[in-house]
Amino acid sequence: MTMKITYKQNLKIAAAVVGGLALTATGAQAASPAAEGKRPNIVIILGDDLGFSDLGAFGGEIRTPNLDGLAKAGVRCTQFYTSASCSPTRSMLLSGVDTHLNGLGAMDEWAAPNQWGVDGYEGDLNKRVTTLPQVLKDAGYHTYMVGKWHMGKKPDHIPAARGFERDFSLLDGAGSYWDMWSFTAANPKSTFTEDGRYLKKLPKDYYATKTYTDKVISFIEEGRKDGKPFFAFVSHQAPHDPFHLPRDWRNRHVGEYDKGWDAVRKERLQRQIEMGLVPKGTELAERMWFIPDATLLAPAARAIMGKKMELYAGMVENMDHHVGRLINYLKKIGEYDNTIFIVFGDNGAEGTDLFKMVAGMPGTRNFLFASMQWSQNHPNAWGDPHTYVGYGPMWAQVSMTPFSHYKGLMGEGGIRNGLIVSGPIVKQAPGTISRSIMHVADIMPTLLEVAGASYPKTINGHEPPPLIGKSWVKTLAGEAESPRSGQDYLAWEIFGNRAVRQGDWKLRWQYKPYGTEEWELFNLATDVAERHDLTAQHPEKVKALLALWDDYVRANNVILPSRVLWEGQAKQLPDRYPVVDGYPPLLYQKQFIPPPDMLADPKP
Amino acid sequence: MKTGTKPRREGGRIPSISQSRRLATAILALTILGPIIAPAQIPPRFYWKSLAGANAVPVIFQSLSGNANPIDPAFVVSPNSSVDATVAIAGYAKMLPVFNRTLTLAVLEPMGRISGETTVAGKLYNQDATGFGDPMVEVGLNLIGPKAIRSIPDLVRYEPKLSLDLIVDVAFPIGEYDNDQALNLGQNRWYGRVGAPIVWQIGPWVPGRRTTLELLPSVWFFSDNNDYYAGQQTGQTLSTDPMFQLEAHLTRDFTEHFWGSLDSTYMAGGKWSVNGVGGDSLNNLGVGLTLGYQINDNISLTAGYMATVNDSDPGDLRMDGFRISFTYGWHKIVEGQKRLKSE
Repeated sequence: MTMKITYKQNLKIAAAVVGGLALTATGAQAASPAAEGKRPNIVIILGDDLGFSDLGAFGGEIRTPNLDGLAKAGVRCTQFYTSASCSPTRSMLLSGVDTHLNGLGAMDEWAAPNQWGVDGYEGDLNKRVTTLPQVLKDAGYHTYMVGKWHMGKKPDHIPAARGFERDFSLLDGAGSYWDMWSFTAANPKSTFTEDGRYLKKLPKDYYATKTYTDKVISFIEEGRKDGKPFFAFVSHQAPHDPFHLPRDWRNRHVGEYDKGWDAVRKERLQRQIEMGLVPKGTELAERMWFIPDATLLAPAARAIMGKKMELYAGMVENMDHHVGRLINYLKKIGEYDNTIFIVFGDNGAEGTDLFKMVAGMPGTRNFLFASMQWSQNHPNAWGDPHTYVGYGPMWAQVSMTPFSHYKGLMGEGGIRNGLIVSGPIVKQAPGTISRSIMHVADIMPTLLEVAGASYPKTINGHEPPPLIGKSWVKTLAGEAESPRSGQDYLAWEIFGNRAVRQGDWKLRWQYKPYGTEEWELFNLATDVAERHDLTAQHPEKVKALLALWDDYVRANNVILPSRVLWEGQAKQLPDRYPVVDGYPPLLYQKQFIPPPDMLADPKP
Repeated sequence: MKTGTKPRREGGRIPSISQSRRLATAILALTILGPIIAPAQIPPRFYWKSLAGANAVPVIFQSLSGNANPIDPAFVVSPNSSVDATVAIAGYAKMLPVFNRTLTLAVLEPMGRISGETTVAGKLYNQDATGFGDPMVEVGLNLIGPKAIRSIPDLVRYEPKLSLDLIVDVAFPIGEYDNDQALNLGQNRWYGRVGAPIVWQIGPWVPGRRTTLELLPSVWFFSDNNDYYAGQQTGQTLSTDPMFQLEAHLTRDFTEHFWGSLDSTYMAGGKWSVNGVGGDSLNNLGVGLTLGYQINDNISLTAGYMATVNDSDPGDLRMDGFRISFTYGWHKIVEGQKRLKSE
């Protein structure tokens, strides 16, 4: 992902910024202090696989009053982009550099043979880039991290080695919320660090979301005596599957989702329209062809499928609850008003059955491992340790209403997420909805500007890769319409799927069966659900966007993978046909009821 | 027929009639779930609820020995007697929704043979009886706890938490009765009880991890038997005062399909008399255990043993017995799904 116009260091310091900033070993340069006030604290709250429409502020029925409160006080951005997968997004968040240069050109777990050993495809955040916490620390910030890391486990790659002075981190991409169990026989235990040391065991009463929150509050409390501002990366594991959550959070939506995914999607879209998040007339993306119409399912099937979504909703609500604890703590110590909150999900919601992918084959060692550690699969146990439940593609599409696709894919549902920014950086009216095109890599330059820090000219004696993002400071201050011009573009590649967007136009290439393995063109201004391929009508636009794609590939050393996780899926899924509501009528026609006055008994 | 002088066993069995009245309900399958553990198995776990419309046929085999007729819930103790019984109890049960609560209807018919030595008016007799006992009907209505399970989603979400039922049992005096002997399968009188079974869920309701404490306080009522055999005299009147009974089960899953229960039963009252001449009241405690196994979606099996423990005095009830129950449950939805699957 990159922009046409390279990031240009902005040394203007916001009026609120104060404090002298020391030059650092990594080359970060001090900026002049602002005339007044303390520099703002920064809290990034990342929801793992959190969907675009899950929060109440984005049309969700899930009760998230604390996050909604941030939205109400700040700005919601409806065109915010991430990668289609988690560690690539995180790498861009913390480095500001394109994934193909920062080490996450491929996910560690899915790197293709032709990417092995290639710079930019290491599978962890490489040492050619610096990190946001490192620069902020060098600029006088306390830097704290709690939660999921997923960008390297070796000692020189863990959070403590990448700029966080305090941390409590899950280094893996996912795992139990209750204990250290992970998913595979080869990697049975998750790896955690605390303040740079690998943990032998977890604290008592560990529950991921709660413990992460406890830790970050304690970090802030212990560090605040010196008056320095802090940067806290609250990288929640929630609501990534498995849906583990305390028992009293599991039954707050009993039966609410039995109505089925399409009904919930329609309700969310209606609310999004009413809230002004999407224009009136917005279409829902086509239900994926292999997902049944819930209204045709037996009540039991709907109940069980619905229970999965009930748990997911509980996960999100529980996360919101703990965000509320952090907010309340900051209010209590008087730091809330001087804290910038940035909230988003790291990619589209998860529609792939990760557990089946890992443990689905009887006779394998992973299946054996799963049978020992992950086989408590009765619905009444869902949420407990040793249970594994995700919610499947049907609910992932709900989470990504109104978009198509979900995590890993290049539809808007894979790469677009809801963004909330609040705090002193926001000068727009509370509750503003921004339609500016924004990107996760923008956060690095934005926060450098906020902190009065600058991107180093050298790292370990080498010129670092360029920042690809654009600062939001002017946009959030209401001084600019958008952080990028109409000529800037965004581009993506992960798992071989690829896309490029400039203005309202998006060109997308995706492996079968989810895509056509041809470039498809969409106008997102009128077709956010990507239902209407316009390649035939606008060949000139295709050509122009392809040129941008080529530019992106060259600039970022994009190596398309020789192997992809989509292999064989066309044979595993049903043949693809268009999904049309109400077709075939045979399945939907109801019992004919004759006029009462024409009823009669049979004649003898 | 047993007429010998079989050595008296140590201890004795607490009445099984009250327990065998319990019925199993259907065991249901869900397409996407695989087996759902059926509510209600025999003695312990009987008052778990199932889908409205579920049916069950229990067959309970019991081998009992003691110093009273084990088929008679009044347990008229004959101090020097030794009675053996081999009994099967077959029945049918159905669950229905009434006012959004679960109504359980059940009928049970005991059958088999009893034999032994019994002392009547100081004389020892060898007697035996075979055939059918008194059929019993039970009506149970849940008062506190989950609402009636009207759909499979309701069943999926069923958890008893704390549930309380009201039950009424009535036995019809039409079982085989010989007024020339004291040992009979039929009791020649009306009897029954009113009870309030309680199921208290302890911890999560997850197959493999379920724990319950189940209590059944009840009071038995007996009409007179006006054709009672007492010491070569027929046509005597046997009367029995109301009797209080408290049954308790602490049940726990061992696996998803295998569970066990510690059982106990306490009985008090039930003082009997013949022609107004009083006998003893009961004041007995029995303990036992039950193991249960769900064989498949339709069939469950239990095996248990129970014995009286405070039975050292000659007038105390002494009884013990083994019990094996087999229950076949079904529901039309489940059976229909199975038919389609087998195509």
